[in-house]
Amino acid sequence: MLETFKQIFSSLDPMNPETIKASLQIMWQGLLAIFVVIALIIVVVLFTNFAIKKIEKMKADVEKEVEESDKY
Amino acid sequence: MLDFLIEGFKQLTISQVAMWAIGALLIYLAIKKDMEPALLLPMGFGAILVNLPLSPVIKEGSGIISSLFAVGIEASEAMPLLLFIGIGAMIDFGPLLTNPKLFILGGAAQFGIFITVLLAAMIGFPLTDAASIGIIGAADGPTAIHVANTLNSQYLSAIVVVAYSYMALVPIVQPLVIKMCTTKKERTIHMKYASGEISQATRIMFPIIVTIISGLIAPESLSLVGMLMFGNLIRECGVLKSLSDTAQTVFANIITLLLGITIAFQMQADKFLRIETVIIMLLGLFAFVFDTIGGVMCAKFMNLFSKEKINPMIGAAGISAFPMAARVVQKMGLKEDSSNHLLMHAVGANVSGQIASAVVGGLIIGLVTKLM
Repeated sequence: MLETFKQIFSSLDPMNPETIKASLQIMWQGLLAIFVVIALIIVVVLFTNFAIKKIEKMKADVEKEVEESDKY
Repeated sequence: MLDFLIEGFKQLTISQVAMWAIGALLIYLAIKKDMEPALLLPMGFGAILVNLPLSPVIKEGSGIISSLFAVGIEASEAMPLLLFIGIGAMIDFGPLLTNPKLFILGGAAQFGIFITVLLAAMIGFPLTDAASIGIIGAADGPTAIHVANTLNSQYLSAIVVVAYSYMALVPIVQPLVIKMCTTKKERTIHMKYASGEISQATRIMFPIIVTIISGLIAPESLSLVGMLMFGNLIRECGVLKSLSDTAQTVFANIITLLLGITIAFQMQADKFLRIETVIIMLLGLFAFVFDTIGGVMCAKFMNLFSKEKINPMIGAAGISAFPMAARVVQKMGLKEDSSNHLLMHAVGANVSGQIASAVVGGLIIGLVTKLM
């Protein structure tokens, strides 16, 4: 069957072990890399969100203190 | 004496006429079926234009379409990359930033790309072509063009036609696959949407953070991710409203108009009409199916560790076809339970897929180049 396939699709080289090995390598490295990128982005975004909220809260607290001290 | 009048007819071949039929089919699908008309119509017309005998539009060095292809695609993939600026300016990452774990679904929904690369390699395509065929699963036209052209795939035109055609078929392909992978109970899972205010500072930092992290881990993705995030930064900075509006509308439209007709350069009969084109169509479908399966199964896996359950259909929205995949999930959610609104969660997963597919495109280029 493989021989018939090769005759019809002469430009293709089915079940070439080198190409299959390379594509398996692309598969595991690619999936690992994309999840590493995603994990890092999630961590940095969560940290950035937390830091920005903290800074904004501190600013709000400082402004509130200044307002109260102006009253007195 | 009148030979000059029939010169064109004498040089016409059956395969060129077949390409006219394919061009007409793309035009029909674009107009009558509203399938990605912005790309399929120019490609369809271009397919007719480049398959007329003695066509000056494809004359090397001076033809308008050959020149557009040489400058806009071959030289630096300028057209698809510039289009990404417009796409980035259109995207609101708010739903994703409200619930960052949806990003994982965007990554999982790229599974179809890698499994298709493997299958294409097993069928016998050389590695560069197998990788270019796999990227159809990115469900993103500019990414598919960028990867296939960078890797010098001989099947660029088939890959682009298939990628855009299947993007338009997402509302038909995905529901079937989602139903196969989920139970009715799972499809009726409700998800609360906490519309937490995302500060403008976070919205501005996000594209910068994504660019730096993607650039450090997958440098080859910087062209795609960088342009996408640049467009998004123009949108979110708040001081460039007219540039943002231009990027989203006029600029994106101009590039889209030119891109479609330029890609038609690769739709010459001898390049397109090959038995391998049919195999690529089947592999493209395979990629989309496994993208959907990857996203759905990842959501189900996350539910094993999560108190607040994710509706697994959201995983299917991780495919980069924005906003169709999100709309498909919203529609299916409402069909199962008319009180179940999943749109914002689906949009979050959908936009994360946009980033993930661009990163994967760059990864594929880098990994294949290293292995060659």
